[in-house]
Amino acid sequence: MSRWRYVLKRLALSIPVVFSVITFLFLVLRLGPLDPVAARLGQQAQGADVQRLRENLGLDEPLWVQFQDYIVETLTFSGESWVVRNGAEVREMMFEVAGPTIWLGAWAIVLPLFIGLPLGFYAGLNPNTPSDIIANVSGIIWRSMPNFWLAVLALAFLRSTNGGDGPFGFNWYTTGPQTQSAVGTPTLNFATIDDIFGIPMLTGMDWSAFFVDLKLILPAAIILGSSSMAAELRLGRTAVLENVNSNYVETAKAKGLKGRTIVWKHVFRNALIPIIPIVTNEAFILIGGSVIMEQIFNINGLGRMYFRAIQTADVPLAGAIVFLFTVIIISLNILQDILYTIVDPRVGYDQ
Amino acid sequence: MSDTQHEKPMNDEEIRTDGGTDTGESFRQRVMDNPKPGAIWLTVLVLLIAPELGRFVDWMLALGGGIKFIFDGFVAAPAWIGSNFEDSLGFVAGAFATDITALLMLFVLAALLRGYLPFHPDTRLGLDLSRSRRVWFERGFLTTVFAAVTAVLVFTPLGALLRNEVGFYVGVLDSIGDMQTLISRETIPNHGYQTPAGDWEGTFLGLSPRYAWLTRFLLVWVYAAVFIGWLWQGYNVFREHYRAMDWTPRDDVIDRLRSHSWGVFGIVVVLGFIVLALFAPAIATYPIQENVYQPYAEDSEFKYFNEESGEVEMAHHGDANLDSRSQGEGSGTVSINEYDEYGRYAPLGTTPSGEDMMTHIAYGAQTSLTIAFVSITIAVFLAMLLSLASAFYGGIVDLMTIIGTDTIISIPIFVLVLMMSVVFSQGDVWIAEPMDGGFLLALIYAFAYMPGMWRSIRGPSLQVAQEEWVDAAKSYGQRPLAIMRKHMAPYVMSYLIIYGSLLIGGIIIVTSALSFLGYGVTEPTPEWGRLISDGRNAVATESWHVSTVSGAMIAIVVTGFNALGDGIRDAIDPQAEANATGNAGGGA
Repeated sequence: MSRWRYVLKRLALSIPVVFSVITFLFLVLRLGPLDPVAARLGQQAQGADVQRLRENLGLDEPLWVQFQDYIVETLTFSGESWVVRNGAEVREMMFEVAGPTIWLGAWAIVLPLFIGLPLGFYAGLNPNTPSDIIANVSGIIWRSMPNFWLAVLALAFLRSTNGGDGPFGFNWYTTGPQTQSAVGTPTLNFATIDDIFGIPMLTGMDWSAFFVDLKLILPAAIILGSSSMAAELRLGRTAVLENVNSNYVETAKAKGLKGRTIVWKHVFRNALIPIIPIVTNEAFILIGGSVIMEQIFNINGLGRMYFRAIQTADVPLAGAIVFLFTVIIISLNILQDILYTIVDPRVGYDQ
Repeated sequence: MSDTQHEKPMNDEEIRTDGGTDTGESFRQRVMDNPKPGAIWLTVLVLLIAPELGRFVDWMLALGGGIKFIFDGFVAAPAWIGSNFEDSLGFVAGAFATDITALLMLFVLAALLRGYLPFHPDTRLGLDLSRSRRVWFERGFLTTVFAAVTAVLVFTPLGALLRNEVGFYVGVLDSIGDMQTLISRETIPNHGYQTPAGDWEGTFLGLSPRYAWLTRFLLVWVYAAVFIGWLWQGYNVFREHYRAMDWTPRDDVIDRLRSHSWGVFGIVVVLGFIVLALFAPAIATYPIQENVYQPYAEDSEFKYFNEESGEVEMAHHGDANLDSRSQGEGSGTVSINEYDEYGRYAPLGTTPSGEDMMTHIAYGAQTSLTIAFVSITIAVFLAMLLSLASAFYGGIVDLMTIIGTDTIISIPIFVLVLMMSVVFSQGDVWIAEPMDGGFLLALIYAFAYMPGMWRSIRGPSLQVAQEEWVDAAKSYGQRPLAIMRKHMAPYVMSYLIIYGSLLIGGIIIVTSALSFLGYGVTEPTPEWGRLISDGRNAVATESWHVSTVSGAMIAIVVTGFNALGDGIRDAIDPQAEANATGNAGGGA
C-alpha cells in the first residue's frame, strides 16, 4: 500500500469516529440528566416560563430533529450559549479565550521538551552514575505528584514571597518584570500585526509585555508539563541507552568516528523516533490538565470556560469545547501516524 | 478457527498442559501424604485470625454487601427496561420486554458457564449433534434451567424462604462481626479525659491519648506485617512440600520481583496503602461516625477537662470541632501531633472544619481503594471480553470495536470523566448514592479507561494468537476457549496487571482532582483530594499540614503503584523496557 493510500485510509477511518463522538456527546449532554432550564431559571421555576424556555432552546422538538440540528451545530461550531453568556455565539466565545490556553499549552510543551529530553539524553549517555540515578528517581516521583497539588503548593510559595520574604530575599513579584498578582490571564497583545500589502505580518514586538505574559504563565506551564517532562526523561534515557549499544554504533566506532560525531549523527537521530508519540500524548494530558490548571491559576482559557459551561449545564458550549478538544486529538493522532511513516519507514502502514 | 478437520477431538483432561503429567497424584493426595507442614501453617493462620475474627467477618460482609448491590442492580435491570417499554407501549409490551431482557441476561450467563457443564445433555438425550450445534444446544439447555430456577424462586414461596435463610446467616455473621477484636478502639481506647490531678481516665492503661493511639497504630502494622509474612510463608510451604513441579516459570518471575528493589518498594507501599484502608476503623483516632458524620448525635458526646473551670465537662464532637479548625492564621489550628482544647489528640492535626485528619486520611484511603478496585475489576473484565470477541470474530465486530473505543480514547480522559461526573451528579441518579458518588465514579472510570486497556492488550493478544504454542495446541485439537484460557490469557493477563497497576495511580489522581473541583466523591465521604482543596488557602500559614499531608499521601501511593507496575513488568519480561520503546510507535 502506498503512503498516500495509507493516509487516505487513516482519514477515512476517522470520519465514523468523529460522528460517534458527536452521538456520544448528544447522548450524554442532551439526553443525560443535565437540566439547562433549571440552571437558567432556578430549581423552583414552573409553568409558562419553563415551557417558553424549553421551546426557545428547542428541547421540545422531536429527538430526531434535535439530533440533526446538533450534528450540524457541532460540526460548524455554530451553537449558541444557553447559560454562561446567553445567546452568544459559541464560536466567538471560544475564540476569545483560546489565546491564553494556546499560550499555556505551547509553553507546557516547549519547556519540558527542552528540560526533560536533554536530561534524559544525559542520563542515558552516563548510565548508572549518581546523576543518572538522581534524574531517574526524581523523574519517577515527579510523575506521581498530582499536578493540582503542585500548583497549590507553588502558588502558596510564590504568594508568600511578596515583599521579599522568600528565601534569600527572593520576591516573585519583582523578579523579572513587575507584576501585581501571581495569577491571572495573560493579555497576549505583545505582538503588533499589520497588513503589509494585504498580508498580515509581524511588525513589532513589545518585549516587556511578552515577558509579563510569560511570567504569568510560567509556573502553570512548568507544572502542567511536569508529567510529560518525566516521561520524556525516561524515554530519552532508554532511547539513548538502546541506541548506544546497537550494532551501527559499534560499526561507527570501528571505522574510527569521533565520539561526538557518533552521538550527534547516529544516536540522537534514532533516539528521537520514539519521542514523537510522547508529544502527541502530551497534548492529551495538557488538554485535560488545562481545565484544572486554569482554574487554580485564574487563567481565562478554554479549560476554565469548559468547567463553567459543564457546571452550569450550558450544553452547546460544553459540547463544542469537548468536540474541539477531540478534533485536536484525532488530528494529532493522524499527524503522528503520518510522521511515523516518514521518519521511520519500517513502521508499517501495511498492517 | 475451524475444528472440522479433527475427527476425534481429545478431551482437555487427557492433555495435561500444566506440566503435571509425570505425577499422577492430586493436591489432596500430596497433602495427605505429608500433612505436617500444612497443618502447622494452617494452625498458626487460625491463631492469627482468631483475635481479629470480627474484623475479617466485617470485611466479608462488606464484600458481600457490594456483590449484593451489583446483583440487585442486575436483577432490577429487566424490570427497569420493562417499565420503560410499558410507559410508551403499554403493559403487554412492558411485560414482554421484561421477560426478554431477563432471558437474554440468563443466556449470557449460560454462555459464560457452559464450559463448566459436567456432562453433555445431548448425549444423555441420545441426540447426535455436531460440535457447534451442541454448543448452542447446551447454551439453550442451561438458559432453560436457569429460567426455570428463577421462575420457581420468583413465583413460589421458595424464594422468600431462601431469602429468610440467607438473612439469618447474615445476622449470625453480623453478630460475629460485632465481636470485640484485639486491635480495636474498645480494647485499646485512646480517647479519655484528664482528671484535675493530671492523670488520664478512660485511655489504654492510663497512658496519654498520644501513646495510647500510637500503641494501637503500631500494633496494626505489626499485625499486618506478621499476617502478610505468614501468607507468604504459606506460599513457600506450598511450593516446597505440595506442588507437583519443582520449578515453574512463575518462580523465576517471583524471584526477579524479589530482587527488584524498586518493585519491592512498590509492593511495600501498596500493601501499606491497603492495610491503611482495611484497618481504617482501628487507625482512625476517633470513630468516624462521631467525629465526622454525626458530630452532634447523642453518641458523639465525650468528657473533657475544662482548664478554665477546672472541672470535667461534657462536649459534642461537633462543638469541639468548631474550636479546632485549622484554617490558617488566628483560627484554632491543631497541627501535627498536637492536642486540642478538648484533650483530643490529633496525630496529623485537624482539617479546616476541625475534624481529625488521621481519621480523614485513613477513611480516604478506603474511598480511593474501593473506587480503584471496583473500576479496575470492571474494566479488566470488559476489556478481556472485548478483546476476545474482537480477536475471535474479527471483521466487522473488530472494526466496530475500534471505532467505539477510538471515540472514548479521543476525548481527553479528564475532560470526559469530569463531564460524566458532573452530568450524573446533577440528576438524582440512584447509582450516585453509594459512597456519595464513589460507586458512580468507579463505573465512569471503568467506562473511560476500558478502551485504553483494550488497546493495550489488543497487540499482545493478536501477537500471542500467532505463537507456535497456540498452533500446536490447535493442531492436537484443544478447544478455542481452552486455548484462550490456558495459552493466551496468562500472557495477556500480565499486560493487564502492569497496565492496571499504572492505571490505579491515574485513577487515584483523577479522583482527587475531581473532589478538588468539588465533584466526584462529595461530602461527607472522606477523600484526599478534598483535603487538598480545603487547605489550599492555608498552605503558607500554620495550618500548612492539611494540603501538604494529603498531597504527599497521594504522591507516595501513586509512586508505589507505578513502582509496582515497573517491577512486575521487569519481572515478567526483563527485556520489556527495550521492547516498550520499540513498540511505542509501531503499536500506537
